Amino acid sequence: MSAEILEIVSTLPIPEYLSGEVQSKLAYVDEAILQAQVTPGGERIRLSLAAAPDSEQRSRLEDKVQRVVASMVKGAIKLKVQVLEDHLDRPVPYALDPMEALLARKEVKPEAVGIFAVGPLLSRLIQFFEGLFLELADSFDAAPYRFPTLIPARYLERVNYFRAFPHSLSFVTHLRTDLDAIDHFAQHAACDEHGLNEPLTSFAGIETLLSPAVCYHLYFALADQPLPGGQVVATAVGTCFRYEAINLTSLERLWNFTMREVIFVGAKDFVLQSREIARQRMAAVFEKIGLAYRVESANDPFFIGEFRKQAAFQSAFQLKFEIRARLPFKESTLAVGSYNYHQDFFGRQLNITLPDGSPAHTGCVAFGLERMAFAFLAQYGLEPSGWPEFVRQALA
Amino acid sequence: MDNDLQTQTMKRVQAILAEALQVPPDEISPQLAFGDLPQWDSMGHMEVIMRLEESFGIEVNADTIAGLTSVLVICSYLEEQGYVR
Repeated sequence: MSAEILEIVSTLPIPEYLSGEVQSKLAYVDEAILQAQVTPGGERIRLSLAAAPDSEQRSRLEDKVQRVVASMVKGAIKLKVQVLEDHLDRPVPYALDPMEALLARKEVKPEAVGIFAVGPLLSRLIQFFEGLFLELADSFDAAPYRFPTLIPARYLERVNYFRAFPHSLSFVTHLRTDLDAIDHFAQHAACDEHGLNEPLTSFAGIETLLSPAVCYHLYFALADQPLPGGQVVATAVGTCFRYEAINLTSLERLWNFTMREVIFVGAKDFVLQSREIARQRMAAVFEKIGLAYRVESANDPFFIGEFRKQAAFQSAFQLKFEIRARLPFKESTLAVGSYNYHQDFFGRQLNITLPDGSPAHTGCVAFGLERMAFAFLAQYGLEPSGWPEFVRQALA
Repeated sequence: MDNDLQTQTMKRVQAILAEALQVPPDEISPQLAFGDLPQWDSMGHMEVIMRLEESFGIEVNADTIAGLTSVLVICSYLEEQGYVR
């Protein structure tokens, strides 16, 4: 099936620094869109569609695209990129897309869009990186936690997640506790090209979602009380879920992925110093494994209504720095982790108080385990003989 | 800068903040700082910056945004940069 191309002239030129952000949000404009691209120069948007749109569909698509552009571009503040470390030119021997070899070797098995099972090589690598991140956690005497994969909807509501990231939410439900509904499902449920054929009326209301982050669970565990001992360092690993529509590609961007976090809660100076110490300790680790990467300021992928202000705020206050590993096969980079500071946002929202009664500050360092393994393979290939000595020995 | 102008700037800034943060003007004291009101959070702060840009016809760069965190500092910034005269 060949895709239909629809080109839309943007009412506002899209500056180059916003091009990637706008493009990523165009994925959520309409289910008919297979691919979206902001053309060089930022004057046009090119959509690939499954079928030629009629005039009404075309007009609706254009309206929605212009809404996205207007809300992100109008009054946008150019974000300054601050680079804390730059090791992108660290020599690495591999230049191919590892995904092809991983698929060929059945090291990854696509189960659905953005969902992969991974085999022994990747699993061992992930376990190795997980060990390195745990060593970082141990260096802070971080208390271990285990958090659920599900998170109550009211939790996310309380930290304004619905407004900031509605596009990436993953909802959980179950059949209504009604014998007729369960019987009907058991007898008639089947999957077609659109998924499960059961009507939504068979399902219970949504009280729970799949968790998009690990650290939220800790903040809720500490909510509505004074912070024990005035500060907390914790660590946990968890499966996280962020739906990214047509942006879900290979192991670079998964719907469900694993994240190890080291989380700091306490006074402002404690949190900021801990984040900086973590960055310095990880710089030594990344050197040992030969990772080509850069640490630079970044923003979270806020949805269009919130993006302009929230992203500018994060940038201005240097709240987020990403570890961006080089992907030689596409001359690009991939965020494999981040160093985050939330000021006293969670302290205020969740009433976590310091001994003096003021709201606690929070921060976390987070590592995406699948992405970390993918970036490493993109730089060193699948053959352990080509890996740095330190990695080879650890996995021997 | 004469006192009248300083007072005028202060009043104008207080009015802008009251509008941006959607609070009564008498809640915007000269000493008010980022975080003192629940409304002056990250979103509120960026609303303040954008209203200042509109009202004074200026462009606040990313470096400055993080510094404009109290009514007094905002007034000083506007005066030092010559945006009010």
